[in-house]
Amino acid sequence: MGLDLSGRQYANVPLQEKQRLFDEVKADLRYDDYLFGCYECGICVAACPSARFYDFSPRKIAQTMAREDVDLFYVMLNDSVWDCSQCFSCDVCPRKNSPGGLITLMREVAVKNGLPSAQQALEGYGRVVYKIMATGTQVSPDMLQDNAFPDWGPHVKDISQNLDVWRRALPPDTMHTTETSWRVDDKTIHELYLIWHMTGVMDMIKEVDEGLFMILQDVMEERLEDAGYDVSFD
Amino acid sequence: MSERPILVVGGGPAGMEATRGLAAAGYRAVLVEKRDELGGTPVSGSYAALTPDFRDAGEAMAEMAATIQGDPLVDIRTGSRVTDASGQAGAFAVTVEGPGGSEQLEVGAVILATGFQHFDPGRETQQYGYYEYDDVLTLVDLERMLKTGQVLVPSTGKPPERLCFIQCVGSRDRQIGNEYCSKVCCGVAAKESIEVRKLVPDCRVFVFYIDMRMYGYWEPQIYWVSQEQHHVNYIKGIATQITRTKDGRLLVRGEDTTMGRPMEVPMDMVVLSVGMEPSPGTIEMAGVFGLALNKYRFIDTLGGALDTVTTSVPGIFACGAATGPADLEDSVSSAAAAAMKAIGVVRRAALAGST
Repeated sequence: MGLDLSGRQYANVPLQEKQRLFDEVKADLRYDDYLFGCYECGICVAACPSARFYDFSPRKIAQTMAREDVDLFYVMLNDSVWDCSQCFSCDVCPRKNSPGGLITLMREVAVKNGLPSAQQALEGYGRVVYKIMATGTQVSPDMLQDNAFPDWGPHVKDISQNLDVWRRALPPDTMHTTETSWRVDDKTIHELYLIWHMTGVMDMIKEVDEGLFMILQDVMEERLEDAGYDVSFD
Repeated sequence: MSERPILVVGGGPAGMEATRGLAAAGYRAVLVEKRDELGGTPVSGSYAALTPDFRDAGEAMAEMAATIQGDPLVDIRTGSRVTDASGQAGAFAVTVEGPGGSEQLEVGAVILATGFQHFDPGRETQQYGYYEYDDVLTLVDLERMLKTGQVLVPSTGKPPERLCFIQCVGSRDRQIGNEYCSKVCCGVAAKESIEVRKLVPDCRVFVFYIDMRMYGYWEPQIYWVSQEQHHVNYIKGIATQITRTKDGRLLVRGEDTTMGRPMEVPMDMVVLSVGMEPSPGTIEMAGVFGLALNKYRFIDTLGGALDTVTTSVPGIFACGAATGPADLEDSVSSAAAAAMKAIGVVRRAALAGST
């Protein structure tokens, strides 16, 4: 059973609410660069890796927005946008649309408004988000061990066996360990925290994951206070 | 011996352009038009603006007419018809009946520019209820409405909130027998959709189509503009039926093919994008001049893609929508080609006669 495009599943959401969210996407400055008109030709679907694995169509995203079909928009906003890997292969569009770009805008609106779908989509990433936001970085090569991330698949074991050799083959410095990669320069960390605070990222986190927000708030406010900044995240 | 004049039948864009071309080259032309005024279907059909450039149709036709009216080489006979013809290339005798009675003319060649008529959507099938519902119109009906500067739902007198076009009505249809594409309806619908959106900005406009055929520059001139600037919705899928809802609105039933779902949408107005069929004048003149018609009863041309005007009778040429669906660009281009070929016939006849 594929995605239900009838909109029945969201029949209880008032049209004004769907329209409000639609208008918020449309009001984004980037919108006019991401959508012209849609031929409904399917070239974006042909180029899309996600479309091979999921019931997902970048064409339907562009179509829905071009048609200004707010009911269908709400379906897409709550389901389809989370199936995209944001690789922008869909930018092949002959009309110069960017379905992936539209999805970026839709995801931002979903997160900012704390939609259940956004909360659900980001649920599994709490640890990742925490690590990235608290340290500015997440995975280091030495974390690739055969039993560390079973969900990454069996090939991780093979890779981890000769990891040192693989890494030496790459020109950039990739030999960071958990030890070094999570040790971030004070100035960098302060700037990161301030950027996330001032650009509204912390507000977005608060909308989708209150608990995570509170943990990050403790960490960030304390380190900023120690450095002499008077910042409140509330 | 000097050249005989060339007879042009039909005073629409093609006939006027053929006549203008003949006179410009210094040849005498007799233009016979059954209606009382020149301008052809754009005038008799009350077109508001031309496709694709939005020129005022009446003005544009008057401008074409002005290029031949008063030219001493041009003999314009409106309210007249050709009733009989005999002879051969270089020397035809034709009978023209007009307000002043019947007259026989000697002409060297003939150009038929007798055009098309709009498909009558009630003729073969009533599936869209054209004669049943006041709010189901054709492109031509909407054109007439646009000319008044107002788009109003006929049954309520109010501006429409939702209006749709249904493409390919009477075209590309084996059931009806018109297997051809009528070429202009996509462009005309796109043009009218822009005009509707301009006149009634709150009206949502949809175009239900099989393929959108926007040749050459029509693509950026009207199709993209309608979609990108005026937010006209193009939906691939043709309505199968129109019914009425309890509140008196029209209900259009079809498939939203690219979304893969059935569709049942209310509309205040439905505009049928009717195609072209040979005009009665085209069929009548083919009879008078003994020309072969093609399968669809347009005048048959023999030269394929590289000669669009030569008919089955030497010395007689056809142009514009008399030979099949044609837009204005096609019509004036083939008219010029026909004029040049007709000049060739009378000039060679004159040269042969003088030796």
